[in-house]
Amino acid sequence: MKYLKFLKSSMLSIYGYFFFAFVYAPIFLIVIFSFNSNPVNMMIWESFTFDWYKTIFGFTSAATESALYLDSTDQLYAAVQNSLTIALTTTIVATVFGTAIALAVARFKFRLKGFYRALMFLPMIMPDIILGIALLIFFVSVGIELSVFTIIIGHCTFLISYVFIVVSARIADLDTSLEEASADLGANGWVTFRRVTLPMILPGVIGGALLAFIISMDDLVITYFIAGVDSQTLPVFIYGMLRRGIKPEINAIAAIMLLFSIIIASVGLYMRSRKS
Amino acid sequence: MASLETNERRRRVILLGLLTPPTIFLAIFFLAPLAIMVIYSWLEPGLYGGVIWNFYDLNYGRILGWADSKYEKFDLVYLIIFLKSVRLALTTVFISLIICYPAAFWISRMSEGKKNLFLFLITLPFFVSLILRLFAWVLILRPTGFLNQALLGLGIITEPLHIIFTDVAVIIGMTYIFIPFMFLPLYASIEKLDLSLMEASADLGATQFQTFRRVIFPLTLPGIIGGSIIVFIPALGNFIVPSVLGGAKVMMIGNLIEQQFLSARNWPFGSALGMIVMASVLLLLIYYVKIMAREDQMTSAPAVKEVS
Repeated sequence: MKYLKFLKSSMLSIYGYFFFAFVYAPIFLIVIFSFNSNPVNMMIWESFTFDWYKTIFGFTSAATESALYLDSTDQLYAAVQNSLTIALTTTIVATVFGTAIALAVARFKFRLKGFYRALMFLPMIMPDIILGIALLIFFVSVGIELSVFTIIIGHCTFLISYVFIVVSARIADLDTSLEEASADLGANGWVTFRRVTLPMILPGVIGGALLAFIISMDDLVITYFIAGVDSQTLPVFIYGMLRRGIKPEINAIAAIMLLFSIIIASVGLYMRSRKS
Repeated sequence: MASLETNERRRRVILLGLLTPPTIFLAIFFLAPLAIMVIYSWLEPGLYGGVIWNFYDLNYGRILGWADSKYEKFDLVYLIIFLKSVRLALTTVFISLIICYPAAFWISRMSEGKKNLFLFLITLPFFVSLILRLFAWVLILRPTGFLNQALLGLGIITEPLHIIFTDVAVIIGMTYIFIPFMFLPLYASIEKLDLSLMEASADLGATQFQTFRRVIFPLTLPGIIGGSIIVFIPALGNFIVPSVLGGAKVMMIGNLIEQQFLSARNWPFGSALGMIVMASVLLLLIYYVKIMAREDQMTSAPAVKEVS
């Protein structure tokens, strides 16, 4: 009984709230201090300002040039554009391929099933850096120039697995009787797939696609190895900024990115909780 | 019967259609690169970043100790860096376990609606850009950062602490980014705990510590092991956290690999280092599968037996 008391005790709740404070405080700090006008020491509050936001959107601001990374916002915009192009293309390819493998493994009988399961499992257990260097060696030795294209390929190689896992989980929850009924009623394989199977697995497919999109937008390690000089993505760009020293406009970029990813993740998680 | 046969043939065609494109893609862009990396690790490094197509085992020899000093020198430093990475990764695993375990307990005993909300909140940071979460810790840990400002302001310290660019900063950073990885497997096994087992244990006169050691701990062990492995693997090969929070002062095996590829341009040696990381991960997983197989046998016996 003592354990039950402990579990309901206020001590555990207090700990719990501290735990969440630890998880969220750093994120909130970035947002709060992105409005701090102090250009030298970003963690000492001076006064409220929108200067850093103005700067990254290309408006003139009172910010002195010594406080900024960017001569112009061109580099930043190019990185955002690359990231979006890569994430959208990757999402489409990885979602189609991942769903195809998930359907094949769940709904068909064939001998290589174990092989495909292992293949989908492999990127999950491999440290990112291994895939990064393997792809770098591959592209260079085959003679493919590093570009946005190579990043898309690189992202697809591991995001297919993520889509596979999300879609497989969805298929596992389904009951096969509807598909059987459709076949019994004379619908051919394609019609059954389009009218019955696809609508049922759709929440899983969308969930997998959103996950692939977010991870692609965020990937740093693999991209870092296979990004060419002109194909920086947003995370690689920020990583480069951090290595050159920290200046306040990065806070504003960070706050906007936070907002963006939290919105997408919330939509995805909400949809998943509602459909299941 | 004929229609059954055509149906069967049709299913074959659909199966081929589903599998062929992704298989070709993954064979070329996933399996082939990994195979080439394995081959590279056994090739001779050429001048200025190239390779010479000779069988060459001294890439491994430099690390593991059989290099003659004529071509390559064995240097203990590589093994030391590897062991240091293992130590940092294990510390990260241990701390995130200690932090997450009580929190998982706390959430597992909430009402259904609250539970979902808190699980959502714990998953959310996983979707926030990793580099931004690390950047936040740079701001916090710097000598002029938030933590030092706060401690100085409160009069707890008189000199700013130098936490950034130390092992401690790297461990804090890794613990922070891997919390969701540790939390979810832990939570999955803690949520399944049957409270009546704890009551039974207490009724039979076990102390709280005994109940924990004999009942709760063994029953949540699968989650503990699962979470530990999921955290250990990305922590071991990490190079972003040490490079952002450890600066030039903390070198992990990931940083060494990155250097070999992007500045030293000795790709065969970098591949050999990568292979050593990969081999340790695989060994760990084989061990994990073995433990899990044994666990399955044990849990198939009535759980009450373990209370004795």
